[in-house]
Amino acid sequence: MNGIFEVNYAAFSVFAALLITEIMGAVGLLIAWPSRSKVLDYIVPIWEITGTFGALWVVTGDFAYPGLLVPVSAIFTPLLIVFLILWVARGASIAFAEFITKRRWLDERKLFKSYAVATLVLGLVVLVLLSALIGGQGVSLASGSFSVISWATAGSVVFVVGTLLLAVGLAPAFFDLSALRNLVLPTTGLGVVLSVLSYWLMSPGLLTPWMTVPVLLTLVAGALYAWPSTSKIVTNKAVFLAVFSVIIFSLQPLVYPKAIGQALSIDAVTTTGAMADAFFSITVVGGILLALMLSLYVVVAARGPSGPGL
Amino acid sequence: MAPLRRDRMSVDPGSMLTFVRFLFAFTIGSHILMVSTSIALVLLISISEFLSIRKSDPVYEALAKRLSKVFVISFGVGTASGIVMAVELVGLFPSFMTLVASTGAMVLLYAEISAFFLEVLALVLYVYYWNSFRGRYSHWVVSIFVVAGTLASAVFITMLNAWMNTPNGFDVSTFVSSGFKTITDVEPFAAFLTVSTVSQVFHVLVTTIFAGSMVIGAYFAYWFVRSRDAGEKAMYSRALKILGVIAIVTIMLAGISGSEEMGTLLVNQPLKYAALDGNTVPGTNLPDRFFGSIVNGSYVGGISIPGMQALLARFETGVTMLPGLSKFPPNTWPPLLVSTTFNVMTVGGLVLGLFMLVFFVSFVRKRRPYESRRLLYVWIPAAVLAMLVYQLGWATDEVGRQPWIVYNVMTVAQAANTSDALLLPGVIIFLFYLAVVPTTFYMYSRIFQGSHEEAPA
Repeated sequence: MNGIFEVNYAAFSVFAALLITEIMGAVGLLIAWPSRSKVLDYIVPIWEITGTFGALWVVTGDFAYPGLLVPVSAIFTPLLIVFLILWVARGASIAFAEFITKRRWLDERKLFKSYAVATLVLGLVVLVLLSALIGGQGVSLASGSFSVISWATAGSVVFVVGTLLLAVGLAPAFFDLSALRNLVLPTTGLGVVLSVLSYWLMSPGLLTPWMTVPVLLTLVAGALYAWPSTSKIVTNKAVFLAVFSVIIFSLQPLVYPKAIGQALSIDAVTTTGAMADAFFSITVVGGILLALMLSLYVVVAARGPSGPGL
Repeated sequence: MAPLRRDRMSVDPGSMLTFVRFLFAFTIGSHILMVSTSIALVLLISISEFLSIRKSDPVYEALAKRLSKVFVISFGVGTASGIVMAVELVGLFPSFMTLVASTGAMVLLYAEISAFFLEVLALVLYVYYWNSFRGRYSHWVVSIFVVAGTLASAVFITMLNAWMNTPNGFDVSTFVSSGFKTITDVEPFAAFLTVSTVSQVFHVLVTTIFAGSMVIGAYFAYWFVRSRDAGEKAMYSRALKILGVIAIVTIMLAGISGSEEMGTLLVNQPLKYAALDGNTVPGTNLPDRFFGSIVNGSYVGGISIPGMQALLARFETGVTMLPGLSKFPPNTWPPLLVSTTFNVMTVGGLVLGLFMLVFFVSFVRKRRPYESRRLLYVWIPAAVLAMLVYQLGWATDEVGRQPWIVYNVMTVAQAANTSDALLLPGVIIFLFYLAVVPTTFYMYSRIFQGSHEEAPA
């Protein structure tokens, strides 16, 4: 077991879970604007935390794999720059949208829709990156380059479609849109099938028995919403986020011990020695601080939002 | 979408190096503009809320509430921009980031993220759960966490810059002699305290708060002079009162810390010191010079105060022999333009100090300077000068370290990614920041002005 990888991947899991729930919300804002309040009640306080977990993932990644920075820079920089532009656009548009009052052409609706579009495209860029990290499609380690045309294989495309179906399928559960209750299980099920198929298309070796854990957890999450008696479990946002993070965390065999189409050994590029000790020390101190702040957040949030931002 | 790889057009590596330098300088210049206002904002919010409780003053409370909305924008855009810089560093300077990631400098970045979590969680609680706290002081305490998280982030990132100026915590000679391949004797926590950390953090922190306070103050000064609404004017004058006090205190500390910073440079970065002070040759009784230039190895033109530099150096550090550029190989000299940027920064700082002195005297004489139209008219251009001085200070520090990215260890040319694949996305980032920064400041104003419902009747 590689503890440093686990910490970095855990940070990624929480970030990905938060980002996917934002993508679900973005879809809701685009296609169901009249029911925006259910989406905004969740997204408005949480989008800032998503960004912070994103930063945590990037920084722990830099810390964990110093030897990878030069090749990553050569291969992914143009794609990362597109990601960054969308990231700023997302942050700026939602921050402006939260408090704006209508004047001339610019209003809350246009800004929230800009946020939704930026978040959706951002999600697409992240999926392209992830599929390249998993299967190595489009990546040439020898020449240090990335080609979108070479990336567009059946495995990558099915991966993107499968993940998007999962997000769309679970969105009604997450935001408790009971009118769409019947769509949840079939869409989620199809998303699971396509995701598993994409792993097989990328590399049959990615399908290990361990894969049954995320598959079952995802199907259970979808199934729980199918019945009103159990739906309250998954509509609880904290529970859903926790389960979703666990599902993503359990997908780690896709990139560990080897990533980029089995070409890169993670253990071989992980930091060691005094830097590894320092990594764990800061993780413990930062983790305690984070736990204390989250506890305070849970206590206060239980009393309900009541600020000038609302 | 076209393949994202180098092909078709090619740009020579020298031009790409200049482009990469300019792109990052532009990004960081835009970022610190937002960061300085963000730090001043959070201080203003916390102090306003404290005074609202202490004095039972609803105007202060309304001010804190309206500003907290503005701070959410500032945080949102600032955070996104911070992440841009974190990723941009990997893309533009991969060899530098490999060194950072293998040494204690990385610990500082990781610590910064912890501070960032403190800031974001406290901010969410502070803004979105304003009335959910039992007791108003307990809500105000959360603002202290926001302030602590914001300041700690700034401190850690400045510590990283101090490490770039005076690197420690690894065996430099082995690293350089191995062609940047072998890093040994790593002491991860040494980066928290390099020889330049204390003076640099002190100076950067106070100047950041000063510049941000002046810019936000300029906004309130403008609206105070323009507004006819007594309720709004009362709010602006309270904000200016707080910002005036912050600016007076921080400009004094900026003078002290700036002098301390020069002392540290003299001892630890003598070449940079010589370039800033325009010393072409070493000497014991060198003058302080302003606004001249170095031509054919001699300093010509400008104003000279005989013996002043030597006097200050002796007072600060006890050093009597001051360094000169001639002692160092010319290929290691920074661009000599830094002497001019340094002079503008110093003289600009003095002018701002004089303005704040007038403000202070007016305060002491109970003339309410924060409501004086004459002083507020001056505040607005003074804020422009403050931001110019602040940006030039940063530029002087960075350009003064050239050609090194990590002093005496790695040059910018050795660290940079000069792939021409960066050209198009780099131009897009540049254009994007050109739009985002003014839009953000416009939105600050629009949201503050659009929050009249928070104003007391």
